Order: sequence, then C-alpha cells, then structure tokens
Amino acid sequence: MALRIISARLGEPGAFWTPVEGVNVEALIAGGFLEDTHTAPGKSAKNKTKAPDAANTTQE
Amino acid sequence: MATSTYLSNPVVTVNAVDLSDQCSGATVNQTFAQLSNTAFGDTAMKYTAGLQENSVTLDLYWSTASSETYATLKALVGTSTNVTIKGTSAAVSATNPLGTLTGGFLAELPVVYTVGELATCSVTFNGGTFAYTEA
Repeated sequence: MALRIISARLGEPGAFWTPVEGVNVEALIAGGFLEDTHTAPGKSAKNKTKAPDAANTTQE
Repeated sequence: MATSTYLSNPVVTVNAVDLSDQCSGATVNQTFAQLSNTAFGDTAMKYTAGLQENSVTLDLYWSTASSETYATLKALVGTSTNVTIKGTSAAVSATNPLGTLTGGFLAELPVVYTVGELATCSVTFNGGTFAYTEA
C-alpha cells in the first residue's frame, strides 16, 4: 500500500508517507490526510464511452 | 531557579497529525500503579512499580474545516493511536524532550458549543505506554 500525503498537517503534500507503528492509517485516509495511491483513481483514468460499432448494430 | 515556560511553542500531534494550532492546553499523566511489597521485618511501607496507567488530555478548538480537529478525530473514537508533545518546535533534545503516548485509547469526543464563544473539545487518550525521548 503506497500512501501519499494530502494535508500539510501530516507532512509535505505529495510526498509518500511511511506508516508509523501505532498510527491509525484508516483514520488518516478517512480524514483526508492521506490517499492510498493504489486505490485512488489516476489522473489519466477516464470513462471511455465506446462508440457504437456500426457493424454490430441492428436497425429495426 | 530555572523553569520552563511554554507560551505558544509546544508541538502536539494526534495520530501523526499536527494539531498545535488548534490546541490551547495539554496535560500529560505518566503513572505507574504502586504495588506494595512490604514484608515482615520492614519498618516502613515499600512499593514497586505495577502497570502503567497513562493519559494525555488535550484542550482543542473544534473546527470542522478540512484537515482540522474534526477530520483528525472523527475516525479515532473507539480506537487507539499515538499522541506526541514537545515543549518547543526545536529539534528533540535533552532540553526539549518528545513525550509519546503509544496506543492511547480515545473513548469519547465531547464537543462544547457555547453562545458567543469558539466551540471546543477536550479529549483524553487513556492507557498505552508513555515515554520521553531526547534524540
């Protein structure tokens, strides 16, 4: 799990955060201080709507 | 007489989040249960250390803005985490020790709303181990 800092209260935003023993990582993610880069959508992720394939369409 | 006066410099973190600018007071209690090991022949009570019973109480302003008090504490109620405090923002040293409560349990999140005043909450982390580090 790669964790990236979002809030300056935790460290430098954008930097990766190393988990510390005893720290509740789930609470940090829930509070918006960290993001799990493995589950967060990437910037390039887009919903691509596939154009209808003319060869497979049926006309009624 | 040398004393340590902390006016505005203490640094407080809860679950690794720096809440210093929301904190107006902190109380650290490092306590060991005292177990009597007094025996026949002794002429005075004697004790040995039992289990630690530590706590850290923080007086915080209640802010629901992002990355503030509410965001930090909301998911910690009913769980254990770390709380640290040091006297100044300077590097940890023998004269600026870092106190760390590891595994303190947050049982409740009491918020006080008063007309004409800033909302506050006083949270207490109970249990866990406490130690000072100087480097």
